[in-house]
Amino acid sequence: MLLSVVVREVQIPLLASLLLGSCATKLVHVLRDRSIDAAAGATALFSVHLRRPVAIVMCTTECALGIGLILTAGRIVRGAPTNAVRLGTALLFLIATCALIELRATRPDVGCGCFGDFSTAPVSGRALARSAFLAIAALITIGLPPLQPPHRGVAAILPLGIFAAELALVAALSPEIGEGLVRLGYSEPCELRTVPAEQTVAALHRSSHWRRHAAIITSDKPADMWRELCWRYVVYPGELHGRPVELVFAVFLRQHRPAIQAALVDAATGNVLPWQPGSVRPASQADRVRRLVRSPAPVFSAPTDPGPGPGPPAGPASAGADRQVRRSAVF
Amino acid sequence: MPDTRADHACCDRCAGGATAARIARRRLLKAAVFRPADAGADASPNPGTQASAGAADDDAAGLRPQSKRARFATSGELPRAVTGTIIDVSPHFLVVGHGTGEERFALTPDAIAWRGGPLDPEALRPGDQAVLRLHKRARGVADRIWANIGRVTGTIVERSGEGLLVDEGRTRKRQFVTIPPRAAGRIEVRFPSLEPGYLIDVIGLRRGGALEGLIPATSQPAYRVDQMPAPALVSGHVPDAISGSATWHEPADKPPGVLGVAYPALDPEVGCAEGTGPGIPGSVRMPYLSIGSVLLVRNDCTGSSCALPVTSCAAVGRLFNDRCVTCGTSPRSRVADLTQASFIALGGELERGCFNATITIGG
Repeated sequence: MLLSVVVREVQIPLLASLLLGSCATKLVHVLRDRSIDAAAGATALFSVHLRRPVAIVMCTTECALGIGLILTAGRIVRGAPTNAVRLGTALLFLIATCALIELRATRPDVGCGCFGDFSTAPVSGRALARSAFLAIAALITIGLPPLQPPHRGVAAILPLGIFAAELALVAALSPEIGEGLVRLGYSEPCELRTVPAEQTVAALHRSSHWRRHAAIITSDKPADMWRELCWRYVVYPGELHGRPVELVFAVFLRQHRPAIQAALVDAATGNVLPWQPGSVRPASQADRVRRLVRSPAPVFSAPTDPGPGPGPPAGPASAGADRQVRRSAVF
Repeated sequence: MPDTRADHACCDRCAGGATAARIARRRLLKAAVFRPADAGADASPNPGTQASAGAADDDAAGLRPQSKRARFATSGELPRAVTGTIIDVSPHFLVVGHGTGEERFALTPDAIAWRGGPLDPEALRPGDQAVLRLHKRARGVADRIWANIGRVTGTIVERSGEGLLVDEGRTRKRQFVTIPPRAAGRIEVRFPSLEPGYLIDVIGLRRGGALEGLIPATSQPAYRVDQMPAPALVSGHVPDAISGSATWHEPADKPPGVLGVAYPALDPEVGCAEGTGPGIPGSVRMPYLSIGSVLLVRNDCTGSSCALPVTSCAAVGRLFNDRCVTCGTSPRSRVADLTQASFIALGGELERGCFNATITIGG
């Protein structure tokens, strides 16, 4: 089999997969943000009222051409429809290349939106080269006879090798790959992590701190709760020897086994009170078993999390209290 | 005129009458949790002095080293702002009436007033609502007066022949802005899209319940609010100090002299965030705080700084991705929305709208 024919044949699955992938990522982006406007990208070239219809047309066209390339690849559909789909694909990429050049000149801050929210980086020369390359790839498929059934054995090495090489080239020209890799390895700093209050309270209720001091607490509902950087503070009203007190818990904001600190404060004077030995209630066997079941060891621990720090506090700290654990208890 | 009362729902734990007490209590409780090891029960903080002094509990809470210098501003150190209604004015004196009675202020020879533009103080009229900046050392002397100044910052929700209806976020009332023909050119140069969905930030004169927009406070972001660019991912720790633009807001239903800051990234749990998508939009991701957290705010133009408590949320501030160019060009994003009194105390000029600022969390 001639090398040129193999190269042309390889373009069909490559183009189809890219078109369908592009359409799918846009759809995911739109569904997640519940707005077609989310898939902005190159539609920023148009006036506001045209952006939504242009985004819909773009996505539909990509999907239709991707499916069309697959359906017209074999012997089922031949002739004019086949070439029309391939010509349409080439035209799409040519128009996309021109649009990206225009977008780069007029809105250098906007990404192309080719692969949904993965394409938020400003349009670069790589994105332009990719689009032009795919336009050429589509053009050389025009007039290609129906694709042969997949080769077996040694004969399959050549088309697979060309496909892999082209895929690597497209990946090298795609800024989205870098963005995807960043997201895969991304761990959000604890200061920016969104942790629901219910989750914090649930973690607190499972902790040994809670069990120790539950006897003092007089209400299930916190009197106050607020967050500062990596900590959420939960205050419960309580009573100790007839005096109204407040129990303050600082819970570190992470998914599993958060570090917790606690203090007992006189509700009237604000003085910090020493912990009362009588207020400690050891955990029952059932509690321990339940705790083990509910709180598996953390699989991932963000680098910004504090260590367990079981030791006693060591005097005034020089760094932010919110990022330190000096007297932490991990249940 | 469209109804400006619509959709005004104050969020939980945002500014209100009990804010000051809550701030003091939270600082006390936080200090109790993070108190040093050698501080026994006897060394417990006194709630009466905690909120005002601010330094002792900062140390106890293990805040950053600079916290030893930073504490809440006192009237003896920074210019103080007085708000009231002008009762009488002469070339050398000004009498202002406010909630506690009348107060007479001498004017410095170089005192300047503003009412839509610079003017001599004697041109002010009785009945004008004025904000006075008092001299640093002489408390009974005013050197700067702003009359009837107002500001509207938010998203345009409706445009009519009379003006614009602007949504200032979930915690504030909607505002109506009129733009007189003499200011239209100036404003439209900086705000080319005065259409629903776009942001606006104008300074002008209060006339009844509406604002007559005269000065653009910034340049309009190119995006609609529902098409905000996604913020960049942040790895590792968020930096201790964040630079950007510090703006001011009108007191609305709060006392006018409050020293505080509206922070654009309050804990999502309190429901102060703006935007339509999941999460909180914004060009810069800022660490989450709550009412009562303390920020050390520094005016990079004058070098003044003071520790201010977070008193409310600046939900709309997060939607702006602008820079302040009062002295040099600040990094993008609004890091603090100060009360008028705080803005003046830190050396800001209200009609300028912003100053380049650096905030340090924990103060």
